[in-house]
Amino acid sequence: MNEELDSQLSAMFDDQLPPGECELLARRLSRDEQLKARWGRYAVMGAVIRAERGVRLNAPLAGRVSAVLLAEPALGAQSLAGALPRRGLRWWQPVAAGALVAGVAAMSILWLRAEAPSVVSPLSAHLTTPAAGARERGGRADSYVVPPAPAVPAIVVPSTELANYVVAHSMYSSPVARRNLLSAFMTSEPAAAEEPQDDVKSAAQ
Amino acid sequence: MSRARPNSGALLGLTLAWACTAALAEDAPGQAQATAPAATTPAQKTSPAPTPAQKTSPAPTPAQWLERMNHALTTRNYDGTFSHWHGGHVEMLRIIHRVQDGNVSERLVSLDGSGREFIRTGVNLACYLPDRRTVLVEQRPPQESLVGFPAVDDQTASFYDIREVGRMRLNRRDTHVITVSPRDEYRYGYRLWIDASTAMPLKTQLCDAHGRIIEQVVFANLTLPVRIADASFRPEVSTLGFRWLRTGTAAAPAPAAPATSAWNALRLPPGFRMSVRSAQVLPGSNQPVDHLVFTDGVASVSVFVETQTVVGTQAPPARSAAVGSSSAFSTVVDGYKITAVGEVPLATVQFIATQVKAQDLVPAGVPQR
Repeated sequence: MNEELDSQLSAMFDDQLPPGECELLARRLSRDEQLKARWGRYAVMGAVIRAERGVRLNAPLAGRVSAVLLAEPALGAQSLAGALPRRGLRWWQPVAAGALVAGVAAMSILWLRAEAPSVVSPLSAHLTTPAAGARERGGRADSYVVPPAPAVPAIVVPSTELANYVVAHSMYSSPVARRNLLSAFMTSEPAAAEEPQDDVKSAAQ
Repeated sequence: MSRARPNSGALLGLTLAWACTAALAEDAPGQAQATAPAATTPAQKTSPAPTPAQKTSPAPTPAQWLERMNHALTTRNYDGTFSHWHGGHVEMLRIIHRVQDGNVSERLVSLDGSGREFIRTGVNLACYLPDRRTVLVEQRPPQESLVGFPAVDDQTASFYDIREVGRMRLNRRDTHVITVSPRDEYRYGYRLWIDASTAMPLKTQLCDAHGRIIEQVVFANLTLPVRIADASFRPEVSTLGFRWLRTGTAAAPAPAAPATSAWNALRLPPGFRMSVRSAQVLPGSNQPVDHLVFTDGVASVSVFVETQTVVGTQAPPARSAAVGSSSAFSTVVDGYKITAVGEVPLATVQFIATQVKAQDLVPAGVPQR
């Protein structure tokens, strides 16, 4: 990762990169795994530090991280940034702070994965409403109803089978939901094991 | 990273999205009008394109912006690259969408990672899975070549809080920021940055009931070309040695049947109702599958009912999976496997799947209908 690329990434963050360069960098981001990974890590670091997206460190650790960042002279002197050349005060330059943040990022990535929406947190019991009943009431929703979570073991549905369901369902989703669903399927992790296929109608071409 | 930034998740997408500024600004306005398909489609019937007269009418409501967006996504030609964020992972994908003479063609391809592709040309759907060396091929009934989605009505609005929370410049385009907030935890919400000129969503965020972002899509570039060549809908992946799983003849869909039909949901989450009932054969299978679709006007859940292949003496356990923010849940009831899939929380598909019953249940293995 050369300094020029770092500088361009930083400029992107700071709304300082000309549109032409921005487009070129975006294209490079789409095919350069290392660059994209670096970019993603910094984005996650920011999320962790600001406790965004539901990403949370435990309070004492978050407090210590914030305190260190605020105490770091290079980072605390933001007010001076305007008096210096814009590209002269990039966030990647303070090595010590970067190392700290990288550590936080590593933790945050783990935390993000643990917080994935596929993991359903325990939900309290509630009274569900029959569909017919809802229609009779004119379709008014009960506010903040919490669905129950049946106690069932979570075992991964075989991926080829799941692909069938996803594709079939996608035809009936709203356009945005459909794009999200298919995109997620396109980018999902490959299954570790192949499930048996007893009814293959058409063999290898 | 020292400075406080408004939203790092958004920043990641925003910065990528800046690249689309020039392309969209130059291409969209002139071409948007030219891309309307000649044939009338179901989607067009429910949400016609704005006419000059409508431009002078009062400002669209937030629900009308959703309608316009759905209309744009289903009827325009577009070619774009976007970032998809979920669970800390970011991947780039390309989508090409064409409506020509009433036929929809679409290609969605992962630019990195799995290299999977989804291609739809008219009634033919193909899903290329290089990581599994498999191609799934499905044929939809012709009348489903362009499925219209239910309009956002008053009932839908009672289960979501739909608002315009502001207008902002995104990718140097004027956008309306529309939020669709669920009133309970059975469904997800959206934040949408809808282009004021073309009604295309330049950025979308999927949020849980607490407003936390769980999935985000931001276009890095987007063009609305008048014509898109057929070659754009050919897969890049080499399928040499791949296993091809095809469907048999797809059965025609039937309208939503009355409550006396065999399979139905005894109870549903508030606001959900059955919108479609069909029978089809999924790729790689000889068995017909009952396909029920339930929707609240924004989210939808499919339920597939099929005869369970008995392996051993014990019934298989219930299974669940997640595809991005969407959920799947499979269980066995009286010898039938019931699988629910939808862009809703896992608890919702679990609830619906466990509520699907056959009123005149016939033991598995006996011809039912």
